[in-house]
Amino acid sequence: MKVQCELCPKQCLISPGQSGECRVRINIDGVLRTVVYGYPCSIHVDPVEKKPLFHFLPGSRILSIATVGCNLHCKNCQNWEISQANPEESTAFPCSPQRLIALTKEANCPSLAYTYTDPIIYYEYTYDSAKLARQAGIRNVLVTAGYINEDPWRRLLQYVDAANIDLKALSDEFYRDVCSATLKPVQDALIIAKASGVLVEVTNLIIPTLNDKAEQIRDLCRWVKANLGGETPLHFSRFFPRYKMRHLPPTSLKTLDLAREIAMDEGLQYVYIGNILSKEGQSTYCPECKKLLIERTGYTILQNRIEQGRCPDCKKEIYGVWQ
Amino acid sequence: MTRRKFIRKVLETCSITFGYICWFGQKISPRKFVKAVPGKKYPGRVEHLGSFVKQSKWSG
Repeated sequence: MKVQCELCPKQCLISPGQSGECRVRINIDGVLRTVVYGYPCSIHVDPVEKKPLFHFLPGSRILSIATVGCNLHCKNCQNWEISQANPEESTAFPCSPQRLIALTKEANCPSLAYTYTDPIIYYEYTYDSAKLARQAGIRNVLVTAGYINEDPWRRLLQYVDAANIDLKALSDEFYRDVCSATLKPVQDALIIAKASGVLVEVTNLIIPTLNDKAEQIRDLCRWVKANLGGETPLHFSRFFPRYKMRHLPPTSLKTLDLAREIAMDEGLQYVYIGNILSKEGQSTYCPECKKLLIERTGYTILQNRIEQGRCPDCKKEIYGVWQ
Repeated sequence: MTRRKFIRKVLETCSITFGYICWFGQKISPRKFVKAVPGKKYPGRVEHLGSFVKQSKWSG
């Protein structure tokens, strides 16, 4: 008997013995099984700035996990060796949600990130771990493309504290051609996450010739401001030729700087550039008095002047989770 | 067309239409998300977790 997976908008109808597009949700004897539950392929301790999250416990370390698989197939994927891998060909570590919480405590991390591939495809593992983490006073972070159906998304968000969600382009054509997905569910996921009270930061990877035109960037910034608010941090990330997109050059610093200028011109208050060293593009400034609040270089915090979530000079409240 | 053929034709058309309406209704009706069940065994290689405190090479 075929089973239908209702997790993401792909709604895969899966024949016995087969998996959905994500490769990890399998029909075994008519039952939909998640074969990666409790088997992450990667467990590490990262700086929270690497996610990237710049408005969430700056300078803290975060236990970060992933299983293999992804429901998107981005031609530019930086982590394709794990995101596009079959579980059969992979190596994993047995780690129940309880063990994961114990590891987070052992590493003295205040938070736990579900990242690297996409936590949506290991949904049940993420959900159970996040629920336990919340009970243990550990915060939960998702790093995701946001390609998920509304019902499971809302259920998961009740345990999520912060999320970095990719908005790869404001173009359905781009999502179809480059990622084998569609734009609308991602927009919905962003709006729902923000409305649910989750700290949301958005990442846009700028790929030369595909989504680097000034008008494309301006449209994306306008959408973010109108739907998520001007206080939503936006990260423009540098593309490097990887996977099936090795023919394109890396994004230039000039393009990233221009994107940042456009975003700030459109009224976004916190705009960053990533995957490249840039002191100004990685530091946080007060949107009111323009003074430097958090100085960063790479993933390192050089100084953090925020006091109780406010600018120490003009007392403007700064969007984020600071303690 | 005989009366018998006409009735058969009407019944066929009705059943096809009814089938299509059922299929379409099922397709568009919102369905409750049901979680997947954890697998019994990992299909790939399983190793003991070593040191995990170092920074990952993966993006994100």
